Amino acid sequence: MSEPLLPDAFGELAPFADWALEPERARTEKRVAASMDEIRAFYDAMILRIDDILAYLDSDFGDDMPAEARRLYLMSLSLVEIATLVEFYKGREAVDACDPLRYVSQF
Amino acid sequence: MWSAKYPDLGTNPLPTEPYISEEHFAIERERVFRRSWLQVGRVDEIPHAGDYFVRDIAICSASILVIRGSDGVVRGFHNVCSHRSNRLVADERGSCGGALFCRLHNWGYSDTGELVAVPNEENFFGLDRRDHGLTPVVTDIWKGFIFVHLAPDPAETLRDYLGGVADRLDGCPFHEMKLSQVYRVEERANWKVVLDAQNEVYHLPYQHRSTLGKSFARDATGNCFFKEVILYDYHSFWSCDYHPFQNLTPVRLALFSGGDTAGAPRVPNMIGDLDHYQLFPNGILSLFKVGRWMGCITYMLWPVAVDRTVWEIRMHFSAPANRRERLQQEFFKCFIRDTLQEDTLAHESIHAGIASRVRSHLILQDDELPIRHFHKVLADYAGYGRCA
Repeated sequence: MSEPLLPDAFGELAPFADWALEPERARTEKRVAASMDEIRAFYDAMILRIDDILAYLDSDFGDDMPAEARRLYLMSLSLVEIATLVEFYKGREAVDACDPLRYVSQF
Repeated sequence: MWSAKYPDLGTNPLPTEPYISEEHFAIERERVFRRSWLQVGRVDEIPHAGDYFVRDIAICSASILVIRGSDGVVRGFHNVCSHRSNRLVADERGSCGGALFCRLHNWGYSDTGELVAVPNEENFFGLDRRDHGLTPVVTDIWKGFIFVHLAPDPAETLRDYLGGVADRLDGCPFHEMKLSQVYRVEERANWKVVLDAQNEVYHLPYQHRSTLGKSFARDATGNCFFKEVILYDYHSFWSCDYHPFQNLTPVRLALFSGGDTAGAPRVPNMIGDLDHYQLFPNGILSLFKVGRWMGCITYMLWPVAVDRTVWEIRMHFSAPANRRERLQQEFFKCFIRDTLQEDTLAHESIHAGIASRVRSHLILQDDELPIRHFHKVLADYAGYGRCA
């Protein structure tokens, strides 16, 4: 039996596991490449479970976070990455801003 | 009226010529950037012996190597081999095992800058290694911020240069903060255009209408205003409060709900929720109250040409207590980053407008006073009128 992509309690988020990316630059590139419909579908799925996710991520994993928990954590970072587009720009193109890829992040 | 507090600054418009003139840029190179303390990084970027980073100061054609020696001391050197002036270190940051070697002829230098290895040394003519260590750059540290000065014998110490700013920030626990992200963006704008945007809050509800615009306290007319302005000999300070009703979007609400701010690390002497320091000539230090942790953003503006600037944005956070706080920091970072991407667009738009030479002057209002102060300090420091 193959390893689960995500923790059991969050199985329904598996279709969005391709948002589990690092470092920040990879999440920004995903955001830029994705359509607004894709971004919104990811946002809607994650925001429904956000309180459970936050509680789960702060459970005690010992020294090593299991791969499926880490994937969920990276997906949460992606949720934050796209939050401005959905919650502030409300799906409009960020017409008031420069190309996000011009911001070269070091870490 | 801030202008009434500082009547010497007057209320006249500012000329646009210094933003686009090659002559002014050349004067700024010689009289400002070659003669000022410049912040180049943090001690926490190079925690171990042999750790180093390289800082290019393009306007002065300088490449500075900042390295922690095996004696624990942080030193700055010109990143130039003593043999035939090859660029010594090619990467931006790294760690050497006690010595650095020039790729050209393998001259080796200790992490404290001494020349320790010369291949085929006997083939030189009375070469004394002791005379050919790396060329030092005047370097000093304040609160973990590393500054360099390109003049061999600076007219004033770093502490004297910082003056009242260092007094105000004396109790600030910068050592609890760690550099968490650095963004670098090349902008088609004069460095002073980039700086001006950091010296006023008038634009917040307008330029940032989609993002940060509603986050700060506004008056009855919907305009942002300073809570305090303090002008120093070189530097300036302003502060603002957050709007009492923040835009609690679902992500923000989830991340910050139950947010216990008790026992939060607080910076003594903070006047507002956001305290903003401009360090002459090209630095900004901005302190934010957020949740239980502490956030500091520093900006460094590196002129490349009269119409080109590298804007470096550096985020420093205290250690998050858990993953929720780590995600709070990510939210803060991304939200500020997205807001600054609006500023980048504005900088380039302003510069293009100035370069069209349609308007010979900029008009400033009272809550843009720190801009006026900066240009007065710069003009005095550079002595534009005293063109050689």
